[in-house]
Amino acid sequence: MSKFEFKLPDIGEGVAEGEIVNWLVNEGDSVSENQEMVEVMTDKATVTIGAPKTGKVAERRFKVGDTVPVGQVLVVLDVGGGGAAAAAAPAPAPAAAAPAAAAPAPAKAETTVASAVGDLRETLPGMSKSAAPAPAASDYFSDKPLAAPATRKLARELGVDLRTVSPSGSAGRVTREDVERASSGARPGPAGHAAPAPAAAPAPLPEAPRPASRATDERVPVRGMRKRIWENMARSKHTAAHFHYIDEVNCAELIAMRDRFKPHAERSGAKLTFLPFLVKAVVAALKRHPRLNSVIDEAAMEHVLRHQYDIGIAISTDAGLMVAALRDADRLSIVEIAKEIERLGAAAKAGKIQKEDLGGTSFTISSLGKLGGLMAPPIINYPEVGIMGVHAMKRKPVVKGDQIVVGDVMNLSFSFDHRIIDGDVGAGFAQEIIGYLEQPDRLLVEMS
Amino acid sequence: MAQMNMVQSINDALRVAMRADANVVVLGEDVGKVGGVFRVTQGLFDEFGDERVIDTPLSENGIVGCAVGMGLYGMKPICEIQFADFIWPAYDQIVNELAKYRYRSGGDHSCKVVIRTPVGGGIKGGHYHSQHPESAFIHVPGIKVVCPSNPYDAKGLLLASLADPDPVIFFEPKRLYRAAKGDVPEGAYTVPLESARVVRPGTSVTVLAYGAMLYEALDAAAKAAEKGVEAEVIDLRTLWPVDINTIIDSVKRTGRLVVVHEAPRTLGFGAELLSLVVERAFYHLEAAPVRVTGFDTPFPYALEMEYMPLSHRILPALLDTARA
Repeated sequence: MSKFEFKLPDIGEGVAEGEIVNWLVNEGDSVSENQEMVEVMTDKATVTIGAPKTGKVAERRFKVGDTVPVGQVLVVLDVGGGGAAAAAAPAPAPAAAAPAAAAPAPAKAETTVASAVGDLRETLPGMSKSAAPAPAASDYFSDKPLAAPATRKLARELGVDLRTVSPSGSAGRVTREDVERASSGARPGPAGHAAPAPAAAPAPLPEAPRPASRATDERVPVRGMRKRIWENMARSKHTAAHFHYIDEVNCAELIAMRDRFKPHAERSGAKLTFLPFLVKAVVAALKRHPRLNSVIDEAAMEHVLRHQYDIGIAISTDAGLMVAALRDADRLSIVEIAKEIERLGAAAKAGKIQKEDLGGTSFTISSLGKLGGLMAPPIINYPEVGIMGVHAMKRKPVVKGDQIVVGDVMNLSFSFDHRIIDGDVGAGFAQEIIGYLEQPDRLLVEMS
Repeated sequence: MAQMNMVQSINDALRVAMRADANVVVLGEDVGKVGGVFRVTQGLFDEFGDERVIDTPLSENGIVGCAVGMGLYGMKPICEIQFADFIWPAYDQIVNELAKYRYRSGGDHSCKVVIRTPVGGGIKGGHYHSQHPESAFIHVPGIKVVCPSNPYDAKGLLLASLADPDPVIFFEPKRLYRAAKGDVPEGAYTVPLESARVVRPGTSVTVLAYGAMLYEALDAAAKAAEKGVEAEVIDLRTLWPVDINTIIDSVKRTGRLVVVHEAPRTLGFGAELLSLVVERAFYHLEAAPVRVTGFDTPFPYALEMEYMPLSHRILPALLDTARA
C-alpha cells in the first residue's frame, strides 16, 4: 500500500486555516473518491471536503476543534493496489501515464561486446527506469510561494510557513522582510497570500490588560468565523470614518404592494418579505448615486467604483454574523430576489454556504427584523463605503394633511465612510431609498 | 618603481625569467627578430639569441608540440600563440599531451610549458582576432588558466606560472596591452596563482570579472553606487583553479552575484561560476545569479561593441539583481 498525504487545501480565497468541525470518516474506513470526509470551518464558511482518491483512511491527523493551517497534512490515505510494486513507488503515478514503465524491456543477459576500444555495453543500470514520468503534483495544493533561497532558509529557521506569508516583493515574491514580519506575529492581511494587496494595517494598539481569571469563568477561544468578525469589525471601526444618518419611512404603499403580490409570489414558491423591495430600492438608489456602489483600496489610495450590483445581505447564524452576496441584484426580479435571499439564508444558517456566495459585495443591508429598535447604525462592511440598517415596522401616529392618523413607520439607519462619502451625498442617497419605498411603484416606472 | 603598460611588464617578466634560468626559452611566430606582433618579446632576441628566442613556422601545433618535448627534457618553454583565435591547431597537443603528461607518467615527468596568447575583442580585430576561448581550456584537467588585468599582476602571475609545476595557459587581454598602466617592481616577484583580488569592496552585489571586462565592471559599479547599489568587484586573475573561497565569502555577504565575461554565454565560464556558487552558497542567495556575457554568435566585426558585455549592459544587471 502506498500512502497519500492529503493536505488541507485553500478552500476559500486566501484562507489561512480551518477548524475541524466534524469527521465523517473514521480511521480504517474505506473511502471512494469525492466521498465526504470532513467538515472544516474557515473564517468564511464551513466546507465539506471530499476524499481526493479512493482508498482507506490510515490516519486522521487532527481532531474536532483543532485549527489546521492550510497546507498541513489532514488525512493520510492508503491508496493504490497494494503489493510490493506499489509500495516501492514514492508517490502514486497517474493511472493514464507511464506507458514506458508498464512495459519494461525484457531483461537481457549482459554481454560484453567486442570492440576495438573499451567495454561497450548493451544496456546500463537505470536505463529501464529513465522513462517513468515524474509523479504529478497534488491536484489540491499547487500554491507554491516564490522566495529566494536565503528567504526560504530564514523562514525555516523562524518556523514560518511561506504559504501563509503575504508577499510584497516583485512578481509576488515573499521577501525577507515579509518573513520577519510574519515571524514577529503579524497575521497575513485579510486577502491572505492568494491576493497580495492587503489594506494598510492599523497602527498596533498597546497591549490590552488581561482580565483577572475567576474560578467560575468559562473561556471560549475566539476562532474561525468569530475571529474573522472580530478582525473585520475592528478594521472597519479603526479605519472608516463612520457617520450616521437615520430617518423614517412611511410604509403604507409598500405594505399594500407587498400584500397585493404576496399570493402571486407564493405561487412561484417564494415567501415575499419586505427585504426584496428594500434591495430593489437600494439598487435603484445606487444607480442614481454611483459613488455609493463601491469599495476602497487603501493600499492604492483609490476609490473603486463597481458597475455590478452585488448586494451584501447580513445573516445571523449560530456561528455569528455573516454577509452573503446577492449577486447582480439589478438583474433579478423582486420574486427572484426573495428566492435568492431565502437560499442564502438557509445555506448560511446551516453552515454550508459556498465561497461563491461570499465576498465581493459593494453595499450591505443589515435587517434586524422584529428586533430592530429605533436606531442602530451598523458598522460598515469593510471595504465598502456604506451600509443600511433596517428596523422593525411599527404602527405609529403620523401626520396626514392636518390630521394625525395611524401609520406604518419603519426606521432606516445608515452608516457611511465620511472619508469618501460626504454628508450630503450620504443623505441624498438615503432620501432616494426612502422615496422609492414610500412610492414603490416608482421602481416599476423607472425600471430600465 | 617603473610605470609600465602590460606589454612592457610581460616583456619585463620574460626578461627576468630568462636571465634567472637558462632553461627558459621563448618560441612562437615572429617572436624573435620582429619582437612579436604586439612587441611583447621585443629586445629578447638581441639579449638571449636565436637559441632561446625562437621564430617558428606558422604552425601552432608544431609550436606546442616542440614545447611539450622541451618541457619533458626539463626546459621551461614559453610559447606565444599570436592570437588565441589561432590556438586550435594546437588543441590536440594541449589537451592530450601537455595537460596529461604528469598524470600519464605517474608524476615522473612534469611538462613545464607556459602558453601565452592574446585574447578578447574591442580592437576592431574581427572574428579571427577577438575571441576569448578560456572555457575550452578550463574544461581540460591538468592545465591552469590565468588571465591578468593589469601590468603588476601580469608580471607577477607570469613568473608564478613559470614556477608552478603544471602547464599554464596565460591569456593576455590585448585590449589592455597598452591601456592598462601601473607601477611594476623591478626584478622577480610573484602574484600567487589561485588568488582572486577584491578590487572594489561593496555590500549589495558580488561581481566577478577578469581581463578587460574588469574595467567595464568597475565602471558599472561606480555608476551603480550613484544609485545606492554598492557592488563588490572581484578580479579572478587565475581562472582555474579559481579562488572559490574569496568568491563564496563575498556572495555570503552580498547574497547576490553577477558574472561578466566576453565569451559566449552558453557553457561559458559564467555557467561554471554560477554552479559553484549555487552549490556552496545556495541558502545565502537573495536573488537569482546573473550572467552578463557575449552572445552565442560568432564574434561580430561590425557589432563589436554590442557583443561585448560593456558597462552599459552590466549596470542594469547590478541594479536589477540588487533590487530583486
